[in-house]
Amino acid sequence: MSERDRDRVSEPGRTQAHVSDKQSKKAASLPGSLLALGVLLWEWATKTARSERRHPRRAEFASPPPGCAECAEKAKRGAKPSEALKVEPVSHEQIGTFLVVCAFLVALAGGIGFLITYWTGGSNLVLGATLALCFFGLGMTLILWSHLLTLNIEVAEPREPMQSPPEERQTAVEDFQAGANQIHRRGLLKWMIAGASGTFGAIFLTMFRSLGQSPDSTIYSTVWKRGQRLVTSEGKPVSVDMLVPGSTVIVFPEDSIGSEKSQTVLVRVDESLLQLPSDRMDWAPNGNLAYSRVCTHAGCAVGMYETTTHQLVCPCHQSTFAVLRAAEPSSGPADRALPQLPLYADEDGILRAGGGFSDIPGPGYWGMP
Amino acid sequence: MIGLLARTVDNRLRASKFLRSAINHVFPDHWSFMLGEIALYCFVILVATGVFLAMFFDGSSAKVIYHGSYGPLRGVEMDKALESVIHISFDVPAGLLIRQIHHWAANIFIGAILVHQARIFFTAAFRKPRELNWVVGMTLLILAMVNGYLGYSICGDLLSGAGMRIGYSILLSVPVIGPWITFLLMGGTVPVDATIPRMLALHIFLVPALITVLIAVHLGIIWRQMHTNYPGPHRSHKTIVGSRLWPSYTLKSLGLFLLIFAVVAALGGLVQIDPVWVYGPYNPVAILPGAQPDWYLGWVEGAMRLFPGVHIASSGKLWVPEVFFPAVLFPAGLFGLLYLYPFLDELFTFDAREHHVLRLPSEQPFNTAFGCGLIALLVVLEFAGGDDVVAVAGDLSVVEIRAVLRVLVFVLPVITWAVAYALCRRARGRHSGLGAGAGFAEGGGAQGDGMNAG
Amino acid sequence: MTAVEVGPSHMPSFAYVLSVDDMRVVSHFVTDKIASIPLGEGDIGKGGDLFRMYCASCHHTSVRGGALAYDGSNAPSLAGKSPELIAGAVRWGPGPMPPFPASVIDDKQLSSLVTYIRAVQNPAKPGGIALNWYGPVVEGCVAWFAVLGLVGFTIWIEKGGKG
Repeated sequence: MSERDRDRVSEPGRTQAHVSDKQSKKAASLPGSLLALGVLLWEWATKTARSERRHPRRAEFASPPPGCAECAEKAKRGAKPSEALKVEPVSHEQIGTFLVVCAFLVALAGGIGFLITYWTGGSNLVLGATLALCFFGLGMTLILWSHLLTLNIEVAEPREPMQSPPEERQTAVEDFQAGANQIHRRGLLKWMIAGASGTFGAIFLTMFRSLGQSPDSTIYSTVWKRGQRLVTSEGKPVSVDMLVPGSTVIVFPEDSIGSEKSQTVLVRVDESLLQLPSDRMDWAPNGNLAYSRVCTHAGCAVGMYETTTHQLVCPCHQSTFAVLRAAEPSSGPADRALPQLPLYADEDGILRAGGGFSDIPGPGYWGMP
Repeated sequence: MIGLLARTVDNRLRASKFLRSAINHVFPDHWSFMLGEIALYCFVILVATGVFLAMFFDGSSAKVIYHGSYGPLRGVEMDKALESVIHISFDVPAGLLIRQIHHWAANIFIGAILVHQARIFFTAAFRKPRELNWVVGMTLLILAMVNGYLGYSICGDLLSGAGMRIGYSILLSVPVIGPWITFLLMGGTVPVDATIPRMLALHIFLVPALITVLIAVHLGIIWRQMHTNYPGPHRSHKTIVGSRLWPSYTLKSLGLFLLIFAVVAALGGLVQIDPVWVYGPYNPVAILPGAQPDWYLGWVEGAMRLFPGVHIASSGKLWVPEVFFPAVLFPAGLFGLLYLYPFLDELFTFDAREHHVLRLPSEQPFNTAFGCGLIALLVVLEFAGGDDVVAVAGDLSVVEIRAVLRVLVFVLPVITWAVAYALCRRARGRHSGLGAGAGFAEGGGAQGDGMNAG
Repeated sequence: MTAVEVGPSHMPSFAYVLSVDDMRVVSHFVTDKIASIPLGEGDIGKGGDLFRMYCASCHHTSVRGGALAYDGSNAPSLAGKSPELIAGAVRWGPGPMPPFPASVIDDKQLSSLVTYIRAVQNPAKPGGIALNWYGPVVEGCVAWFAVLGLVGFTIWIEKGGKG
């Protein structure tokens, strides 16, 4: 055995360690690279801030404030802290007066116009226009006065820092402590306050219960019962041949006409076009298909039927459902098919439900079966 | 006379010091600082017109046969709520005007809040000590949107009824607690007669009260903290520059209020909004195309249309329906991110100092790019929310429009982000070498002083 | 007759397939069929209920039409369409529209339906400009114009303010 072979054989541990090293390096590389990426992002996002801190460009905190060498001079001379920096003189007082009087007259005209229109039963349009004119005139009066007839003075005043001086803060805290010390048995009081808050909180939350009921069993209902006749909104029973292929009608169970949950759309198509799943082949006698009309996206009535493309469309967010394929969603934000109602024709040719909807109708909730 | 008034009040309230600080309060002069007031005054108009409407509105779902002045609906069964709204629109003198002013003001209210919020965002006015006010403002935005939705839904017409049905389904889709909170809050299984009365209580009592309180808090915080300044001469964390409340700001602000009232009155008179008599009564068996919510929820509607249908089911049971992701998770995630934004900004800029001078958009490329990208995303989603209306108006195919939007919703925000980022960097590049531009120190020594903490 | 000759929207033109006489026979047949439907004054309320249940989902309650998602076309506006055309469309279902035979919507119901449609072809616009009843989408656009207009006002109010 050569020396090299001996080395290789005599140190199996090291080979294994070498292998596991590689594996652990591979395993560590993902969080490692994520970390590196995170650091890079942080560096980039805060680059501006860090360079600002090193080389601040604005003397927001300069003292004296920028452009205020003269203020410093004035302060030295003992001038008051707030002094006029700029005074806009009032020039053209005549024109100003004329304009504000005009504006005021416009306002008066508008106001009188409104009163006349109101008392003579005028239209909404004129009422609104005259009222608007009145307010416009008044507004312009004030603003023109501010622009043309008011001496506008710009002043500079010192700001107080938002932090109270430390002594004041200290005194406030001390006052509170002193007051607290006047209450004996504070420990017990704290527990009682906690208890009372909990109780009042519970009472407050409980009052919400009066607002409504708990979700009742209606949210699990598939609405139709086997054997129920399909009727129109006028209560007329629907026969197998009532529709021509391509037409549609809104139907309800006999006992809940007009109900939101039970509204059903009946569509008739050419039987040869049907592509229903195998367990629903007998749900569509003579090409009559019935689906829940409550959109599974957000609950609007799926009112639009495009007869050439055989699509039920909900106008709210444009979810479309393929009628020939058991109303599975074909485009738009809905992701679940409309529940289908099994149909059969009784001996009089009247369409009846073969059971409840295939799913619970409507947009859904946590834990819906 | 002012003296008499002052004495009368002051003799009873010792108010002189407070009044003096009030009338002397300094507000910086810039138009972008008045955007919040547009929203505020819209709210005032909403309350005023809302009180008028509440006198006539009957928030009941009891069914009644209509026999009023609008011909095509005679003999039709509808909720009392809808009948009262049609009565306001056709029979009450100036009723339609007030109703339309109310609805237009609501739409403009939320638009103004968003424009105001955009200004705050792009100038980083949410930094310390104003994170608190940002949180209050976000809550105001959400409450305003909620109240708007409640407001048009209580009419009981087909359009808003469809929206309520969708809202019901969205609530239902929340994991675990969905059916419970839906039955509790809505009052039962759909369609619920109990829903309109409780929505009315929320719309005219609770939510406006909350909004009023939060507006008071919002304004109180601004008052206490003093308004921010744009960078400029004399403006710093120690000095505020602007005009006094009396007389400058009073005149401008009141003038703005009157102009806003003029605009909403003009719209209320000239442009029809929410013609419930055309939509007809809500009937769960009926539906209409173009059933969008009001514009401020159009982005959620667009998300519901564009998100691919994905549901989570296992062992024969459905767990998470499709609508949960676009209608609950996405908005919650977005609002959560926006709520936390000031704190994230502090974290990423390592800057927890007090700021009273604004950061220009070009000085915060990441922020600006993020904001622009988000706006682009929301615009695409809004467009998607109305794609079937666009299709009908332009005689186009809604299928083709949606295919284009599915691509745009990814591409446009990314492009907008990149372009905004690049523009900001270019703008900064022009300034950085010189240290020139508004707000930079004159003379030497500024660099060194700039390193001081606030 | 014109429709047979010209072939509007989805309909093919029959100008080269049928002779002029044949086309006349077909159109007289159709006209007679439609004329046999009594389109007198029906119940407008019942017509409205029917319309909202069956027709509004594609044509909108304002009869201005709607988008058809899978097909990619749009249900047309009913404004300006004659009662005979509407009745014919209901009975025979042109293009993607399903037909509604007399077993589904009988003649009396059809008459009410047409009465209702005629009443709302020009819906009342007491509120002002109706924006073609496109609804909240276009109302939102107008609201945004108003917001931007108000922003414009604020820029003018605070002109010269440096912030």
